[in-house]
Amino acid sequence: MNLRVVGANLVVRIKSFYREKSAMFFTIAFPIILILVFGTIFMNQDNMSFDLYVQDLDRTNSAAHLVNTLKLNGKFKITNVDPAINATQYAKDNKIDLVLIIPKGYESSFNQRIESNDANASVTIRYISDPSSASVSTKMQILNSVFAEINQRMTGKSPFIRTAETSILSKKYRFIEFFVPGIIAMSLMTASLSGAVNMNAELRQKGIIRKLSTTPITRTDWILSNILYQFILSVISTIAILLVSYAVFNVSLQINVWLPVFIVLAVFAFVGIGMILTRVAKEAESATAAANFIMFPMMFLSGSFFPLEMMPGFLQTFARILPLYYVNEGLRASMVFVDHMTALRYSAIIGAFAAVVFVLGVITTKWEDSK
Amino acid sequence: MTKEAEHAIEVENLTKRYGDLLAVNDISFNVRKGEVFALLGPNGAGKTTTVEIIDTIRTPTSGKVTLLGMDVTKKKHDIVPRIGVLPQGFSSFDRITVRETLQYYSRLFCSMNTDIDGLIELANLKDKSKEQFKNLSGGLKQRLGIAIALVNDPEVVFLDEPTTGLDPRARREVWEVLLGLKKKGKTVFLTTHYMEEAELLADTVAIISKGKIIAIGSPDHLIESNANYLGLTLKSVDEKVFEIVRKMGFEPVHDNYRSIKVRVEHTDDVRKILNAIKDAGAPFLGMDLRKPNLEEVFLKLTGEGLHEGPAGGRGTE
Repeated sequence: MNLRVVGANLVVRIKSFYREKSAMFFTIAFPIILILVFGTIFMNQDNMSFDLYVQDLDRTNSAAHLVNTLKLNGKFKITNVDPAINATQYAKDNKIDLVLIIPKGYESSFNQRIESNDANASVTIRYISDPSSASVSTKMQILNSVFAEINQRMTGKSPFIRTAETSILSKKYRFIEFFVPGIIAMSLMTASLSGAVNMNAELRQKGIIRKLSTTPITRTDWILSNILYQFILSVISTIAILLVSYAVFNVSLQINVWLPVFIVLAVFAFVGIGMILTRVAKEAESATAAANFIMFPMMFLSGSFFPLEMMPGFLQTFARILPLYYVNEGLRASMVFVDHMTALRYSAIIGAFAAVVFVLGVITTKWEDSK
Repeated sequence: MTKEAEHAIEVENLTKRYGDLLAVNDISFNVRKGEVFALLGPNGAGKTTTVEIIDTIRTPTSGKVTLLGMDVTKKKHDIVPRIGVLPQGFSSFDRITVRETLQYYSRLFCSMNTDIDGLIELANLKDKSKEQFKNLSGGLKQRLGIAIALVNDPEVVFLDEPTTGLDPRARREVWEVLLGLKKKGKTVFLTTHYMEEAELLADTVAIISKGKIIAIGSPDHLIESNANYLGLTLKSVDEKVFEIVRKMGFEPVHDNYRSIKVRVEHTDDVRKILNAIKDAGAPFLGMDLRKPNLEEVFLKLTGEGLHEGPAGGRGTE
């Protein structure tokens, strides 16, 4: 190993990267765009408000009071529907997924129950709904819980079962805090894997390796400088992602020693896979295709973008054999949950995987263009 | 070991097989220190395989190659710092400039005092030194490749087809650089399929065909011993002239249109033929007398006739 040679190689790599705008884009801008887009989409998830259409056929103070109660719940943005029109037709025509109808006689039934204590007095509030809408069941659940509370209060007794929530997290976290470690893991994978594949395949095809094999640079120098280069890129893109996440979304993430540990392990693991692919695929194009074939399913199935619990059981099991899963979950364990034991366990798994593929990658990377 | 002092390269019974294909078939030759040695042959003759075995890119199937007194299969690490290579189809990092590329390679050799400016000047790349590799033309790339092959001030320089794929002007510009290299007294091992290139640059030419070396020597020696004649071309002659020349005991052949070609031994023969034509009163529009070159040698040695050869149809000069 010769540090001067490694340094010279690193300088060439970094200059090439800096001068190649598309590589810059995919390594740094692309993850940031993902963060911005998804972060904005899910930013207001916690205080999301639903549209609710209400047709008040009773037009009394009591009915108005009920509507006000729904409004005060805070989950709904209420629009009144003209009592004169057919609510079903109206919902159909205007593509409205839920119209709540307060029936005529609401106030009189209400008074009958409260003043005469008539247990038989009741009202039926009708939902006119489009069951194909994704949010309608959530809306009805919220409405039902509001009505249940009103019913319970009207009995005049305090509720028997109360609930209390204790989060297992030291503090409440949002989707963006879940998302950022996933994007860091994803960009570690794409930069290292496609970086290693593109570079090695291209160099081989362009005959640079043939020239290099007549210089004193050794395979070790070459691989070491590539690893260092990928590591530097990964650090730059991670810092960029974190800066944007802090600046735009004010995320609260724990930055500790596990972050560099996972960056190093992920770089070794994915550069290793890249080196193996380069050897398997002779042409630069097929190596890139093979890299995409590995990267895209991994991106979606290993929980970079959404929690694994959303996927069917067999896919969840499948995710557990994907290396990216352990980088995702390891980073989340350290950055979100501050769970050092899980971080340690996942770093051990990805570390063992990295050791195996990297050694295989080194063995399969032939320096001479032996034809 | 006086041989070692005299020879930069010694090749003994070198053979290289790729599966069933015998690319290099038991060849032997030596390259003297300080000479320009050209391996001349058509595509697929085994030139690149041979040079890549000598400059340590490939390994031989059998045979022994000694470079600067060292076995190339055993002493790669000691050999590499002492040689410079322009591989076939040379390429470099797209977005790195001429100067940066030279600096990069000089760092790979850990050469502290490489004269980068001197190399840029030698390769005539002064006004391109800040240009990125991808923006260079084919000829400029090759000239940069030659300069790169010199960053470690090597004792032996290998140039594998340095002018293939270049237009005639770019080729001439590369030759300028190579002539400058020759003046420096480096041992140069060159492969080419351009006869003029070998003739212009080489002290020794080895002609290789189908994996075998079929002739070796200085260009003059090869021409003298294999093509000891002059080529006379008579342009736009009467049909009578053909008969006159034939009757004089020569073997004229028809060229295109109404020209004929005759091989003669001496300039005296030319005078005799011209006189005979003049006496017969037959008109002709012009003549051309040419010494044979390596092309004729190659065509003769590979058994291909002068006119039906793949390089036929050359214009007269």
